[in-house]
Amino acid sequence: MGGVIPFRHVLDITGDVCPLTFVKTKLRLEEMAPGEVLEVILKGREPLHNVPRSAKEEGHRILGVEEAGDCYRLLIQKGERT
Amino acid sequence: MNPAYEELEKGGFIKEKQKDRYAMRLRTIGGDLSLTQLAGLIELAGRYGCGHVHLTTRQGVEIPGVALADYGNISRDLRRLGLWPGTCGPRVRTVLACAGNGRCAHALVDVHRLAGEIDARFFARDMPNKVKIGVSGCPNSCSKPQANDIGFVGAVEPVLESGLCAACGLCVEICPGGALALAGGRPRIDRTRCRHEGDCIAACPMDAWRAGRVGYHVYLGGQGGRSPATGRKVAAFVAADAVPGLVERLLASYVALARGGERIGDVMARLGNEAFRIAVAEESGEGGRSEWAV
Repeated sequence: MGGVIPFRHVLDITGDVCPLTFVKTKLRLEEMAPGEVLEVILKGREPLHNVPRSAKEEGHRILGVEEAGDCYRLLIQKGERT
Repeated sequence: MNPAYEELEKGGFIKEKQKDRYAMRLRTIGGDLSLTQLAGLIELAGRYGCGHVHLTTRQGVEIPGVALADYGNISRDLRRLGLWPGTCGPRVRTVLACAGNGRCAHALVDVHRLAGEIDARFFARDMPNKVKIGVSGCPNSCSKPQANDIGFVGAVEPVLESGLCAACGLCVEICPGGALALAGGRPRIDRTRCRHEGDCIAACPMDAWRAGRVGYHVYLGGQGGRSPATGRKVAAFVAADAVPGLVERLLASYVALARGGERIGDVMARLGNEAFRIAVAEESGEGGRSEWAV
């Protein structure tokens, strides 16, 4: 997950369920510039299952995922052509 | 007599309780109809039917309330819409399919192409009893292929390109079968628990999980009706272009082995899976063992 990351957006979707988990992630990514990084805080298997693969399918890059207590922290870098 | 009446032998024109009234069942494949076809059906159901249509459990459409004398006309008008009369009775029925890889992110194979190929080759073929075939693009099995006499489920075998793996553990967390665990900084796969859904391939940030074998798992002997049964998995990773040939051999074996009106599941229950497998292998003339991997 190295490199210099100038600004990191943060989105907490721990209180959301499918399909809002990805909808909120997608809307936030649309507000960002290509190359910027979004940190998504999510909880449970469903968003972990769907959000990374959906983000990947839409042309974004998953930088990593790490456990954070009872949640996960997912880092998504906005793609160039999305 | 109208030449279209020859089609009546294939069924699909089903007698109703009312005097001289029949339901015209359509041959739909995987439940797909264009808007032009739908609009045309509205018109035909009004002209020949009783003002409504019935959606069947096999993703099909029936137009109820059609008179026998109108069979030729409605059949001709359906053709103009690119539609055909359906079938019923002891025959190969319309093929079920899930949404497919055209729009579903989970589908692993070209579901509607295979459903179309199966329909084109086997639709309405006479059989000892009904034979229902269903296709699903992934092990989620949304179109319930295991509830069909012959079911196909798209599947992928994940293979790790370990040099690319960043050991982030995402695949371990999301694996639906719990088949993955991190060991020595790499995910290790328990092949007996892998469900071949490819979630690890879809989600991996590094594209370290790659597709190995891709094809269809084959289920046999499923049915609903008065003796419901779930299909039994008999083969794994059959390539899409090998499926029609396999269906041909399965049907030939079924025709040869069925007593009376047994369905495929009844034959398997009487003979046992292994005897049925050997019969299919003999039917193929060249073993067929490689397909029958389970």
